[in-house]
Amino acid sequence: MKKGIFIVILLVLGYNSIYFKKLSEVRNQQQTSFDFKTFADSLYYQGILKSNNAVELSQLSALVQSNPDSAFKAYGNRLGIGNSAYFMVKGEGKVIEKQASGLKVVTDTHTILMVDTKYIFGNAIRDASGLVKLTDFKTNADFNKLSEALNNVIREKAIPEDLKAINVGDKITLSGATKLSKTQDKSTTLSILPIRISKTE
Amino acid sequence: MKKLLFLFILLSLTGISCKEKQDGKPKIAVVISTLNNPWFVVLAESAVENARKLGYEAKIFDSQNNPATESDNFENLISSGFDAILFNPTDADGSIVNVLKAKEAGIPVFCMDREINADNAATSQILSDNYSGCVEIGVTFVKALNEKGNYAEILGLVGDNNTWARSGGFHSVVDKFPNLKMVAQQSGDFDRNKAMEVLETIMQAHPDIEAVFCGNDAMAMGAYQALQSAGKADKVKVFGFDGASDVIEKIKEKKIVATGMQYPKVMAKTAAQYADEYFKGKRDFPQRVPVEVELVTAANAGSYQ
Repeated sequence: MKKGIFIVILLVLGYNSIYFKKLSEVRNQQQTSFDFKTFADSLYYQGILKSNNAVELSQLSALVQSNPDSAFKAYGNRLGIGNSAYFMVKGEGKVIEKQASGLKVVTDTHTILMVDTKYIFGNAIRDASGLVKLTDFKTNADFNKLSEALNNVIREKAIPEDLKAINVGDKITLSGATKLSKTQDKSTTLSILPIRISKTE
Repeated sequence: MKKLLFLFILLSLTGISCKEKQDGKPKIAVVISTLNNPWFVVLAESAVENARKLGYEAKIFDSQNNPATESDNFENLISSGFDAILFNPTDADGSIVNVLKAKEAGIPVFCMDREINADNAATSQILSDNYSGCVEIGVTFVKALNEKGNYAEILGLVGDNNTWARSGGFHSVVDKFPNLKMVAQQSGDFDRNKAMEVLETIMQAHPDIEAVFCGNDAMAMGAYQALQSAGKADKVKVFGFDGASDVIEKIKEKKIVATGMQYPKVMAKTAAQYADEYFKGKRDFPQRVPVEVELVTAANAGSYQ
């Protein structure tokens, strides 16, 4: 009788001590409950759009040509170690092409820019803004999730709205993030991930 | 007589040991997840080289991708009187306890390349920016496939944060294009042979894949080998991550599309410098230091060795 009870207890304990879960489920459970979407909305509308830290494109280009170290130090933002940095820039120009992937723009100083409205991904805008720090988040993964939420707001909501009013031939003002590397060819066409595009006339 | 001789030997040894501690420079342990992968051999040897250049004694401990071996390594190096650890963990969660043991013993730990999921254990963590690197690979992937097609992903070790940072960066882009369909996602443990076997199995069930994204270059080479054997090397696009020289060569030959260039020597050098600064009294280190990963494609492969 005692043996029977013992075996039943053992079976119950054994059954309840082992369970199987999908790896993805376990990983999802580990995720933080932080509301990245709300934080990203606030960062974009209350922080990035209102911030006044963008450098004029013409000013940056001239400084990068004459004194790259000074340009990177004054206007670049690099988290950690690397050859490149992100810059928040602003400028004016005329739209000469409108494609599914973005706008081709010529500035008053005849510089050609590619405004990439399709592939707004990665940490360029977050880091160029200089408004959030890695130490604000417990892990790199959380810090990257903020970029994803921020990019979603800009790529799926803000920029498509701006683009509705923009056509070839329009004069525009734009601001956005760009990545420059100390080792890159200086003749490379500048690509900008926009945070705002607006028609000026 | 025997007792006297024993005492003499004991005193002599103690004397030698004390002399080493008093006169010798601090000792640095380099604990590496595995020396079976050439990438980690470069990381380990660079760490030792930089530590020695700074005037320290340095020794490599191989954890053989086994947390239990890693734990033994920590016990040994703590009892052997090492003064700092340049550490490449085997497991983001499982390795925390080892780092804490070293911390309790007053030994600073500088993580290299692989992150641990704690921000109060290691003195600093110098890590590749895997996520950003794989975002760029993801954009290249989408463009190379014209935004449509079936593909497979071969993950690294599932317990390693780098595996998920790479996969996460890649999917943060690719998942936004609904005509790109991932038909299989399996682990290849960062191992060339395993990746080859995994892709062979995937291709049996999904002979129509158009691309494969691999979590490191060893697996990209294994995947390429599987494709070659199946006569599909020209049809299926391969993407890797690491910047290994054999993959750079394949990119130049347009046999592999892209990889992310990591800088193990930069991480190892920074970790050794941090240890040096620690010995000289510095205590305020950034908890996490990302190291840039550069996209390598046929357009710029010539700039890399």
